[in-house]
Amino acid sequence: MSLVTTFSQIPKKMRDVRTYVPFASASLAFVVGAVILDSTDIDVGRAYTIMFRGAFGSIFGIGDVLVKTISLVLTGLAVSVAFKCRQWNIGAEGQLYMGALGGTLVGISLVGAVPGLAIFLVLLLSFAFGSLFALVPAILKVKFGVNEVISTVLLNFVAILFISYLLHGPLKAPGFNPYSPEIHEASEMPIVLPGTRLHAGIFVAVAATVGVYYLWKTKIGFEIKSVGANNNAARYAGMNITKSTLVTFVISGGLAGLAGGLLVSGVQHFLIEGISPGYGFIAVIIALLGRQHPIGVAVVAFFFSVLMTGSETMYRSLSIPTAFAMTLQALVLVFVLVGQLFIIWLNKRQTRRLDQKEKWLAK
Amino acid sequence: MFLQSKFFIAFISRLFGSGAKKDLETQIDRKGESLEIKNLSSSIATGEPVVTMKGIIIRFGEVTANNNVNFELRKGEIHALLGENGAGKTTLMSILYGLYQPQAGEIIVKGHKTSMKSPNDAMTLGIAMVHQHSLLTPPHSVTENIIVGLKESRGLFLNISTAEKKIIQLSEKYGLKIDPKAIVGDLAVGEQQRVEIIKALYRDVDILILDEPTSMLTPQEEKALFSTLQSMVRQGLSIIFITHKLHEVMEVSNRVTILRGGMVVGTVNTSETSETELARMMVGRPVIENIAHKVSSNSPVVLHLKNVSALNNAKVMFLKELSLELRKSEILGIAGVDGNGQAELAEVIAGLRKVQKGEIIMDGKPITTLSPRKIRELGLAYVPQDRLETGLILEYSIAENLILDRWYFEKYSGRVFLKNDEIKNFAKKAVSEFEIKTPGINVPVNSLSGGNLQKVLMARELARNPKVLVVHNPTRGIDIGATHYIHEQLIKQRDAGVGVLMISLDLDEILTVADRIAVMYEGKIMAVMDAKDADVDYIGLLMGGKPSAVYSKKNEEEQNK
Repeated sequence: MSLVTTFSQIPKKMRDVRTYVPFASASLAFVVGAVILDSTDIDVGRAYTIMFRGAFGSIFGIGDVLVKTISLVLTGLAVSVAFKCRQWNIGAEGQLYMGALGGTLVGISLVGAVPGLAIFLVLLLSFAFGSLFALVPAILKVKFGVNEVISTVLLNFVAILFISYLLHGPLKAPGFNPYSPEIHEASEMPIVLPGTRLHAGIFVAVAATVGVYYLWKTKIGFEIKSVGANNNAARYAGMNITKSTLVTFVISGGLAGLAGGLLVSGVQHFLIEGISPGYGFIAVIIALLGRQHPIGVAVVAFFFSVLMTGSETMYRSLSIPTAFAMTLQALVLVFVLVGQLFIIWLNKRQTRRLDQKEKWLAK
Repeated sequence: MFLQSKFFIAFISRLFGSGAKKDLETQIDRKGESLEIKNLSSSIATGEPVVTMKGIIIRFGEVTANNNVNFELRKGEIHALLGENGAGKTTLMSILYGLYQPQAGEIIVKGHKTSMKSPNDAMTLGIAMVHQHSLLTPPHSVTENIIVGLKESRGLFLNISTAEKKIIQLSEKYGLKIDPKAIVGDLAVGEQQRVEIIKALYRDVDILILDEPTSMLTPQEEKALFSTLQSMVRQGLSIIFITHKLHEVMEVSNRVTILRGGMVVGTVNTSETSETELARMMVGRPVIENIAHKVSSNSPVVLHLKNVSALNNAKVMFLKELSLELRKSEILGIAGVDGNGQAELAEVIAGLRKVQKGEIIMDGKPITTLSPRKIRELGLAYVPQDRLETGLILEYSIAENLILDRWYFEKYSGRVFLKNDEIKNFAKKAVSEFEIKTPGINVPVNSLSGGNLQKVLMARELARNPKVLVVHNPTRGIDIGATHYIHEQLIKQRDAGVGVLMISLDLDEILTVADRIAVMYEGKIMAVMDAKDADVDYIGLLMGGKPSAVYSKKNEEEQNK
């Protein structure tokens, strides 16, 4: 009897199975990952320990996790903002590359040597380059009704190959490798945690998270959100769907561009091919799992960053390919999505049972 | 247990059966006129019954869609099923086709008592239904569409040529001209319908249900369809023809069963009835007394539509040079059967649909080409019929829904941010003023009942202090309490000087609330009349699209003058 009372004293949300489904799903992904590792004769315990230690075992590891989190948060937010308006922007990767180009152009030019101003301009231009590049699919959609999924996906290749062309041609620094010249020191993001690579971009990421949180409390945010939720109702209520679409892509592309600019100014200090290991694509998963909520996106981004950093260590010490990290990410996505279905099923069962109860009572 | 429940159902049906019958009788008595209901058995049509439905009862939630319905189809007849929208015609036929299971009643097909769980069961009994909208796959050929799903087509290879031969045979036998090799997507709507009919005939059915088959057809296609139906019944098929158009009933059917409000009003032989009688049976008399009709022919016009034409979603001209005048301080009811351009009319006024020709003037200003926002700022409020689709955002809270059209007003937002406190106060005020039943202003509106959703929508629209208020089916699917409340609000608006345009499929509602009544048919206004001397039979005829009746009525009026 006393057990029952204690059980009912626990808050309702804590008693609900549904609260735990996402966590259980993520854990299951690790279990399946363990099976895969085990099948290749690798000591699973050791592998996961090393993974964890790679991410949290040293101050350098923690720094690296946070550095990756910056990119993932910014691209994740970029995709989230677009999704919130039902604009399926799968082009964050390309927008990131264009942003990186913007940052590089400031960094290697004369203004890039002016302390203070340089950083400001790097951020401004990387945002602007990302935005402008995102406006291409936005305008195609608004003017000609071109499906943004296809145009954004294809424009990724345009951006990545365009950067390649620049690095092999006009933007190539003297020497053998297709690198751009190094940016001026004044354009580099200062390191905030000595002994690590963690740079001031972390504040940009935090600011962006807070900014997106408050975006939905602004006039334009409300308009964007409403258009996404039901564009019929929004249009009828006098909202401007064209404007909302364009603004959404500007914000979305700009955030992705910022991620690119920070990769140049905070991490690499010059532009290279493959400067992003697909952050813009992982961002889609992050936006889905984080349910487009800025805090959710930040948490999932951090989790994915741990996975990526840890798997790099696994590669270095156990030569487990980094593809395993991608496998794990995909597994997490699959299991969490299945978990969602499970929750939907639970909800349906609940309403069905209530209906039956009502019917029974009615008799 | 099983037997018990069966017994229970039989008991209930008997109970309800006699009760419902009495209801009907008293209803007719009350009207005190010679609305004769012809008995099933005294009818002249020959042939033994192939389908008998007895005491069918089906409820969806609180709505009783079919209440103790009896229906009989005889061999070799075309039996029209006539009624307004929501009378229960399609529901009844869906039961016969196995799509719904009734809560009570029995179905006897060709002498055997049956219970159909799915359309497959119906098909094996020889029953097929041709739906209002084509269910064919456009990229495939006629033959492929016809044989899809059949046993003979399930092997590794399709025997197309045999199928084609059979299709040609069928099309010659019934006069359904069709090329079996044609791609369905290239065919006109009328031809697609022929494919649907052949598809049914190919499966050797002998009972065919047609759900409003002429709604998408041109007059020529309609003629062709009717002659096909005649030849089909000559070959021994039996056809049920769902419609709300009177002339079709007169032209094609042998007998007609009239449904109203989920109940059978009567079954009559077509040769022994007239359009006027059918209209009266279909529409019925208003049960509720008129609340308060005002006729204010001198007050200024606040909304004027001049020869307005507009396309529907399928890009067909659906409003045809429609003209309409709405005055200050009046409720103008637009009566009509669904799908005669009412939705298009409302959307054209609200700026949601492009006007192809003509002009709309609101309060002295042309609004024909303005955006929805501009039109609303000039004084329009609009309560759309699809409150879940166009009216509200379901996952939003009451507060968010209430500011959906005014989030940019200075009162509710600063330069950048929304003013949360103001919004909350507005929502609280609206909830108490409109008696919206809700656990709080921050819960998503999808947890509210239909009546309360409509109140949220009304609260938002009326808070604009409009000059013109357009409401479309304001009380559809809403309980009586909320309906009454909404009617009161409309009258309050009228008394405050607002011009109210009430488009409704519910004729009783229009007769109760409106001051003037306009009848709409196929994108045109057939006639406008004062509600206090409106004649229901006349309205029924207009709704069924009888222009000849219009002329005779007009002549009559002129003579009286």
